[in-house]
Amino acid sequence: MPHSVSPLRFFRVVPTQPTLIVWTFVVVVAIGIITIVREPSRSADMMVPVLLLQLFAASSGFEVPARRGHYDLLLTSGHRRVSIGLVHWATSIAPGVVAWLVLAVVEAAATRGADRRLLASGTCAAMALVSTMPWAITVRLPRFSGGIGWLLVLTLSTSVLSPVNVPGPSASDIGEWIRPAWDFLVYPVVFVGCELDLGEGLIAAPALMLALAAMLAACRWVSGASVPLEAAQ
Amino acid sequence: MTPAAVSVRDLTVQYGRRLVFQEVSFDIAAGQSLGVLGPNGSGKTTLLRTLAGCLVPRSGDIRIGGLMPRDALTRAGVAYFAGDATLPGSVRASRWGSLGNGDVVTPDRRPIRALSRGTRQLLGLRTVLGRQPLGLVLLDEPWEALDPDAARWLTTTLETKRDRGAALVLSSHRLHDLAGFCDSYLFLLPHHAKVVHAHDISPTSPVTAGQLAEVFDKLRGGAMSLRAVS
Repeated sequence: MPHSVSPLRFFRVVPTQPTLIVWTFVVVVAIGIITIVREPSRSADMMVPVLLLQLFAASSGFEVPARRGHYDLLLTSGHRRVSIGLVHWATSIAPGVVAWLVLAVVEAAATRGADRRLLASGTCAAMALVSTMPWAITVRLPRFSGGIGWLLVLTLSTSVLSPVNVPGPSASDIGEWIRPAWDFLVYPVVFVGCELDLGEGLIAAPALMLALAAMLAACRWVSGASVPLEAAQ
Repeated sequence: MTPAAVSVRDLTVQYGRRLVFQEVSFDIAAGQSLGVLGPNGSGKTTLLRTLAGCLVPRSGDIRIGGLMPRDALTRAGVAYFAGDATLPGSVRASRWGSLGNGDVVTPDRRPIRALSRGTRQLLGLRTVLGRQPLGLVLLDEPWEALDPDAARWLTTTLETKRDRGAALVLSSHRLHDLAGFCDSYLFLLPHHAKVVHAHDISPTSPVTAGQLAEVFDKLRGGAMSLRAVS
């Protein structure tokens, strides 16, 4: 077996994130820690900037740097393309996940374990959504496209429909689920800090399944795609 | 007969509706080298990228050591470099150099974009050629921008790899880069491709750039005549 660079090592040398994003996470976490220590009840509020930043961090884009030849060394290393794609995704979302976990630990410490809103199922669902969908959407697009598109959809949704509301848990028929499910899809922050009951879980499920399907489609594309050089076409 | 390290049959590649080249066939044995020559836009880069498994051809068959290109990447060891422009500019040179076989290629900690073009080219070449063992080396315009010392290092390194059994595919649009170095030459011309063995061009001495130019002109003239007839 020839010596070859591992995807993890490659993406440590060739980061999927600009340094600016990482430093912005550091600033947001620092502000979050100070706020949570002083006022633990505001922990869920501190997740909003983390989720917003994660939206852009996960929108890292695979095809554009690959077509510039930046990933040639890795693509010809013999590693399976799907593992390359998954490591690209994992390194894209890692700063946001670390930021979230740091705030969750600080919250647990500040409340002596009494309050764990940052590890509640609603927070986990929101984090899962903003960590997957933007990467999958942006895999063939320039960096930040997924984040920008998502903000556009959110803005249009609140302008054309109505302001996003916290979904009601008592939806009894499919028609009543559509709007709250849409609201969670475009603005996952609505469930941050909540433990989801069955009704809320069903409201969150379509967006999470859509995100999973988008991830599968993106991995399938990375696995089989032709990657021509920009200059050679 | 030596088994072919690389076997290409009726290879056709296109980008969208644009046909790059069609029905290209050639074999390269282990320890042999093929020079790919052709004008700008003839598909040299595309051919190398297809051999490296980065592009899926429209039709045709590629076998590297009997394997499909992507399987060969795992088992045969393939070095591929498409030029200094493909290096990520923000990465430190020393860190990029460590991606080859882990050895230090350069202690230079400047970002790659801050290096001169020749230094970038050398960094990229030293990184990919440091990988061991190599069954196939695919280099696109490798001598481009190198100073005489670096060019001599490259030639010596490629000869060593070839002596150890690696098959080489080297592309250039400059005939003097490849003259005398390769065992056979693939001339990629619009709508026309032909492999010519070095001993058929010059049976007794190394092939010169002038002789390659003669063959090139002859083939190009033939291709033009064919187009005129059709």
